[in-house]
Amino acid sequence: MTGPAELAIIGVGQTPSRRRHEGSTPELVHAAVGEALRHSGLGMADIDLVIGGFAPDALAGENCPDKRFLPAAGAVGKWSMRVNTGGTTGIAAAYAAMDLLEAGHGDAAVVVGVERMAQARSVPAVFNSIFDPIYERDTGLSTVSMAALRASRMMQRWGYTAELWARVAERNFKHATSNPLAQIRTAYTAAEVLTSRMLAWPIRQLDACPISEGVCAVVIARTAAAGSRPAAVVRGRATVTDTYNMGDRIGRREGDLVELLTLRLAAERALGQAGLGSAAGADVVEIHAPFDHAETMAYAPLRFCAAAEGPALVATGFGQRDGGGPVLNPSGGPQAANPVGATALIRLAECALQVMGDAGQRQVPGAATAVATGQGGSTQFSTCTVLSRN
Amino acid sequence: MDEPAGGSVPPLTIDGHWAFDYQYFAGAAASRFFAGLAARRIMGSRCPQCARVLVPARAFCDACFVETTDWVQVSPHGTLETFTILTTSFPGLPEPPLVVGYVALEGASTAVLNFVDGIDLTDPDAAGARLLQRPRVTARFRDSCQGRITDFVFTLDEPA
Amino acid sequence: MRPVYLHGSAVSSTWRDASRSLTDLIFDCVSSALRQAGVTAADLGAVVLAAHDLVDGRGLTSMVTAPAAATYLKDETRLGDDGALAFVLGDARVRSGSVGTCLVAAWGRASEGPVDEIAHALFDPFTARPLALTEIAVSGLRAARCLGDYPGYGRWRDEAAARRGPRPADPARTPATAWPLRGGELPVWADLVAAAVLSSSPGQVRVAGVGMSTEPYDLGDRDLTGLPALRAASAQALTAAGVDAAEVDVLELDGLTLFDEALAAEAVGAAARGEGMTILASGDRVNPDGGYAAGYCAPAMGLVRIARAASRLRDGQGRDGQGRDGRVALATGSSVVAAQVQAAVVLERTHATQDADGRQTTQDMQDAEGA
Repeated sequence: MTGPAELAIIGVGQTPSRRRHEGSTPELVHAAVGEALRHSGLGMADIDLVIGGFAPDALAGENCPDKRFLPAAGAVGKWSMRVNTGGTTGIAAAYAAMDLLEAGHGDAAVVVGVERMAQARSVPAVFNSIFDPIYERDTGLSTVSMAALRASRMMQRWGYTAELWARVAERNFKHATSNPLAQIRTAYTAAEVLTSRMLAWPIRQLDACPISEGVCAVVIARTAAAGSRPAAVVRGRATVTDTYNMGDRIGRREGDLVELLTLRLAAERALGQAGLGSAAGADVVEIHAPFDHAETMAYAPLRFCAAAEGPALVATGFGQRDGGGPVLNPSGGPQAANPVGATALIRLAECALQVMGDAGQRQVPGAATAVATGQGGSTQFSTCTVLSRN
Repeated sequence: MDEPAGGSVPPLTIDGHWAFDYQYFAGAAASRFFAGLAARRIMGSRCPQCARVLVPARAFCDACFVETTDWVQVSPHGTLETFTILTTSFPGLPEPPLVVGYVALEGASTAVLNFVDGIDLTDPDAAGARLLQRPRVTARFRDSCQGRITDFVFTLDEPA
Repeated sequence: MRPVYLHGSAVSSTWRDASRSLTDLIFDCVSSALRQAGVTAADLGAVVLAAHDLVDGRGLTSMVTAPAAATYLKDETRLGDDGALAFVLGDARVRSGSVGTCLVAAWGRASEGPVDEIAHALFDPFTARPLALTEIAVSGLRAARCLGDYPGYGRWRDEAAARRGPRPADPARTPATAWPLRGGELPVWADLVAAAVLSSSPGQVRVAGVGMSTEPYDLGDRDLTGLPALRAASAQALTAAGVDAAEVDVLELDGLTLFDEALAAEAVGAAARGEGMTILASGDRVNPDGGYAAGYCAPAMGLVRIARAASRLRDGQGRDGQGRDGRVALATGSSVVAAQVQAAVVLERTHATQDADGRQTTQDMQDAEGA
């Protein structure tokens, strides 16, 4: 990050994540943005940019729903645009706001990530439509089966097991019980994970995220605008995009499919900008992983351990509160709530709340530095952001 | 007559239906690849810069950002690099359970995705354990080709 | 802040070229822009894309199409919004010093999908979709108001449309109309890709100013003929560039139909209120390539207009579309739902000369602002 301005998240607002929300999207957006503004101490008149994130339109059954909801976020008369990068949409929207602020286009931005996928009745068909229509769609691939291809490769390469991943899920569900905004707030055990319905081998229902709706809004401004109020300063950020074809990454010299090269590169840059050798040096890490196996795929790129040591690390109970190391997903993470268009922004927002000391019941005491990751496409888009208290 | 704000009105939902039809242009490279399948050949294209043989054949190598040059036929034999067992039912596709996976064919630098048959799926975990061994597979061409990737299917060399 | 220069650009407008897939079209246009800019994919620090999933018929289109836009292991992002907005974001990346060279690309291939149905789905499912609205219908509403309020629109519409050249015979390329719009005033659907390379190293065309604004979603809340978002966006861009509307030589204005272009001319100050159609009928200052009739598909159009403007400046085109040494260009792009968001970009031609050793040096024609 070489821009001349230092930027911070100074306000956060979120609706709870639910299987289905009753209100209209503009109403939900207005509520979340209002909360974020109140938290920031700024008014709508102070905002110059309104950036919206929304992922597959088909999930909402509305073409460009952002045009309908961004006015409810204050966009009329201001600069606005809609970012769509699949799973990383929410964080990419925040990065676009930061890019514009760094270029001097205003002093403060509202960023809002939205998901209304309960409006879709045929979610797997929508998720099949993301694959290349010429060479891959006919195999009936969907997001879960695409992920399962990576899970089985991790088992084969590094000896991961369903049992180990179930322990990761158990930890996420336990953390979620402290988060009133999470959709799943039941402390499922590893045993329950292992007996839940099989989706695509080896992924079972409780290894995966739920279908969620929700809105997350943040206010990003120049750090000076926060004054003496707590703020989460952006110390490092990076995004890297890989090739689409998963087959091109199988056995690839620069980095195999499951080595998650783009997260390794993004984390290297972001951690480097922040002066951190590893994300293990942070107090909180919110990993955007819609599956427990995907969370462990991020461990080596985040430099918690070498890839082959991942299973052993999981076995130590890594990431628990009071575990002595960074707390992983104190919010419960995507396994407890994963509104697609918002989720990567929620990871950032949760990290911001932690370092601002405003995370309520899920607060990690004394959290000063936090890392948020983002994941999208065919584990193709990766982001890494480092925040710390002002 | 003014009505008080709020009050309880049942929330309304309205049914909607989206059915957009598309016709995708496969382009010269993919068209030639599918013609190859009809002739029982799996074709790859070579990048003149990194020398990778990309399968299915493409017009350009995105890593080097240059057009591919030579076309080469790759072997129908290869190794199952990763797989999953599907349970979702889609209209127009065979009923689950189905195995889909990426296969590295001899002569290809990239792996190609397709269905895999020849596996007993009555016990998915047992099937999974067997498939994790990276078994050898062979591409088998269908009797009638339609210019789709499913014109061939992979079969385990040793049935499981 | 760094200055930003537009080094190379390309536009590809085709229809149903079965020899090329969507990714082939993107690859070819991006390659062309890179060549013109004299850079390779490896030189790019970032890529900003504009594309829409429903237009592309691919549920998360940038997943499968981004590789064709030189994004391999790059910092890449994608707007589901007009190409001019992507250009403004790409400009910001370079302006802030965050990257040295940024590629911006946008596309829309109208021949693969059902354009009218997709447009219909833009409208509010509860209050507007049941009324069979498309963006053409909104243009019809605007056009009807213009004919009612401004005599010049009725007087000059035929001559303005006649300047746009012959239309293709294929009926699939012209949308169903909405009264009062006539055939020659409607967009010609095309398969479009546009690309531009931005960098802080000096070049022939400088990005002198940018601006943007947003209107309400509900049509009933809008000033349909005043285009307030475009008015605001162009005023911002001109102010940032330190130029007056009267100094603009080259105009590339995005508009879905002839009437939208006419209203845009008024909104950017190139014509007085009610005189937009008169300007379009009287010369080739606005969109000499044919504009809406030269090929249209959202969300590529803002970047198409910017690329055309850059090309006209490089060629030395002036006010009358001829070679009269144009110095300043204004290009605009509008988003969906019937131009709810508008962006404006002011480009300036620098003096690029060669010194004795044949190396290019560049001298701005006017002091760059605080560069």
